Amino acid sequence: MSASARRERRATPVKCRTCARPMHSPLFCADCHTLHPADGFDHFDLLGFEPAYDIDDAELRRRYLRVSRDIHPDRHGRAATESAALSLRGSARLNEAYRVLSDPLLRAEYLLEVVGGKSSAQDKSVAPEVLTRTLAAREEIEEARAAGNQATLATCGQQVRQLFDQTAQRIGTLARQLPGAADVRHELRQALNAVKYYQKLLERL
Amino acid sequence: MDERELIVGIDLGTTFSLVAYADESGPHVIRDENGDGRLPSVIGVVPGRDAEKPRITVGWEARDHAVENPRATVYSIKRLIGKSVADVRRELPFLTYAVRSGPRDTLQVEIDGRLYTPEEISAVLLRTLKERAERHLDRPVRKAVITVPAYFDDAQRQATRNAGQAAGLEVVRIVNEPTAAALAYGLGVREQRGPAPPTAQPRARGVALPTPQCYEPLGRATTRASDGQLVAVYDLGGGTFDISILRIEHSVFQVLSTAGDTHLGGDDFDRTLMALITREVRDQFGVSIDAPATRQALRLLTERIKIRLSEQPQADVELDLDSGRFYRRTIQRAEFEAAIAELIERTLTLFAQALRDAELTPAELTRVILVGGSTRIPLVRRRMAEFCGREPYTALNPEEVVAEGAAIQAAILAGAHPDMLLLDVIPLSLGIETMGGAVGKLILRNTTIPCRATEMFTTFVDGQTAIKLNVLQGERELAEDCRSLGEFELRGLPPMPAGIPKVEVEFLVDANGILNVSARELRSGRQAGIQIVPNRGLTRAEVERIAEESIAFAREDITAHRRIDLVNQVAFDATKTEQMLARVGYRLDPAERQRIEDDLAALRRLARDAPDLDELHRALDAFGKSTLHLAEIGIREALAGPGDVGRR
Repeated sequence: MSASARRERRATPVKCRTCARPMHSPLFCADCHTLHPADGFDHFDLLGFEPAYDIDDAELRRRYLRVSRDIHPDRHGRAATESAALSLRGSARLNEAYRVLSDPLLRAEYLLEVVGGKSSAQDKSVAPEVLTRTLAAREEIEEARAAGNQATLATCGQQVRQLFDQTAQRIGTLARQLPGAADVRHELRQALNAVKYYQKLLERL
Repeated sequence: MDERELIVGIDLGTTFSLVAYADESGPHVIRDENGDGRLPSVIGVVPGRDAEKPRITVGWEARDHAVENPRATVYSIKRLIGKSVADVRRELPFLTYAVRSGPRDTLQVEIDGRLYTPEEISAVLLRTLKERAERHLDRPVRKAVITVPAYFDDAQRQATRNAGQAAGLEVVRIVNEPTAAALAYGLGVREQRGPAPPTAQPRARGVALPTPQCYEPLGRATTRASDGQLVAVYDLGGGTFDISILRIEHSVFQVLSTAGDTHLGGDDFDRTLMALITREVRDQFGVSIDAPATRQALRLLTERIKIRLSEQPQADVELDLDSGRFYRRTIQRAEFEAAIAELIERTLTLFAQALRDAELTPAELTRVILVGGSTRIPLVRRRMAEFCGREPYTALNPEEVVAEGAAIQAAILAGAHPDMLLLDVIPLSLGIETMGGAVGKLILRNTTIPCRATEMFTTFVDGQTAIKLNVLQGERELAEDCRSLGEFELRGLPPMPAGIPKVEVEFLVDANGILNVSARELRSGRQAGIQIVPNRGLTRAEVERIAEESIAFAREDITAHRRIDLVNQVAFDATKTEQMLARVGYRLDPAERQRIEDDLAALRRLARDAPDLDELHRALDAFGKSTLHLAEIGIREALAGPGDVGRR
């Protein structure tokens, strides 16, 4: 689906293909109780949000639970019927959408993809200081661990945590500017890549 | 009972199994004539005279004769279901019945020269519960919700579902035990039902704890309606341990994380006592306790000692060692606690892991619920209180609460409680084996189910028509350290040059936590037709056969199974080739076309004449090669055809 078609579609709620009434999620028509496939819709569409970084967490959860109640396999027959299959796939897509949108880092990553930015597979670059910092921190951690130096390990942990928090904050600032200019997207891509290095370090600790 | 369809809830436990149903007044456990809701998960096989079929005993009867009949009494089958012999090697020395390796990595119990799958044995228990429910409700019962430990993997879940089908039940949902327990607490049904009936008093097999009458129901809009409650369910049963952390708000029960061990429970506590007594008897009398009957007696004895030590500070043991010698001993509670301390600490380590995965601290939990008979052990309660910084919660009977929860979930599925919803997670990560034996993770543990992942595959050899995928479940980095769900074989790919097919494989985990694999070839636009053949566990035909036949006759027939597979494949390939000939056959030179038609007829003849299976396999492969040219023409045609096929 082209970006313009996407925008146009978002301007008005998706209408039910069976009864033509507007739906709160493209997955289910609460009026005629019809399930619809998720094909062609992104995570934001499924939960009825504009593609933007800032999202009201409570509202996101409210909508997620509402649509879940509507489409969950517990509600739509257990036999091998078409509606059971739609309910199963739709729920899987919805759960994925909620998982991504409820996590600020995953949401930034996903939004970058939606606005046409590069994926982590296409651009793995990070700012040069990230690599040096990561390598130094890793060495320090290994040494402290070998020496059994808990105090140093704790300090390392704090430092990495701080780097992680700073980068996460920067990601938020950049993601709010999306779709943004090419340099914004590039910096966001690098920050998202960097935060994964810090995440891995935190897992080691 | 209202007009809705009847679905019962079944707790298929390691030591005891229960069946319950729910009506407007709440869930009800269905009891036997002695008022006991528990059916011991034990079956016995009594040999028939002459040509008679063996007689199967179930429950208390089988349990009461366990000592006389140690080799033909099967207990704790839940610890073996969905496992291979290699998986349970550590378990074997404690069993008094014989276990053999079956086909396709399955495990079988051997009694008097007959083989039984764990599914068949579980089916006997399920059928007994089904009949109990039918007698009580005076109507046929065809559908059930069955609970499993949250930490059960895909193979164990499938096997449990198969056991249900073999018992003549449509298993409408597999539900995790701790989640079911949370449901039972959450409804607050106890308020309407009054005090819990005394459990098992007539037989005095176990002692029900006094149940406090008032508690704050979970899941109800309380003072902080929007915040929801964070609840941990600590479920320590006869053979398995689970810990689940749930967020409950607006009648939605969402599992945030789960952890556990499917081989940690009351059985293991008994075994520490068995090991202690066995050692002392050997040291003092030079007698080794390993005759099956003695071991069986010791198993039941240690279980009783364990229960007594939960109520009293010490327990006396007396063991008759024949020829007038007696082993006598007083076991102190402290001694027993020291022996099981390490096992209890393991449960706390798993609890801490579940909290980490849910990004919570013990102090943030609104409530900690204890479920399962083994939570009656004082040490468990003490350590839990220390770990959580508060007293754990056990308002309901810990042995019945899972069955009650299963009955509530059954009512939800039948359309009652339209506001209630249960969102569970997959307990173990799913991945596939990649080059070099590493694991490529597709779905991470604690992902809300249903969930899905897709992955693209292609071929390495020209004309390759099948791709093998090793699907793995577990957290480790190497394939050999994870549990293999079996090699799935994608068959029926149109033969194309290497690297050309684009096969999209979808891994879809349903609300039962069971994986469904489907595939479509995108290049040719062929969506259907790719068959997926898992090579582990029972086949559908086998499950159906168990359901149809009496248990005593059930026998594996791998040859028949393979024949069916091969003949199906022949029919599939032959039809495909015929269609291709009809469409693009005019492009072949007449001699080639004739040759293919002759080969086709020969292959069909071979399949029909019930030949040697290896020969048929070779013929099928040769046919694939001889039609490669035709297939290539067909694909070029399809590729040049209208409409581009691609992924969104």
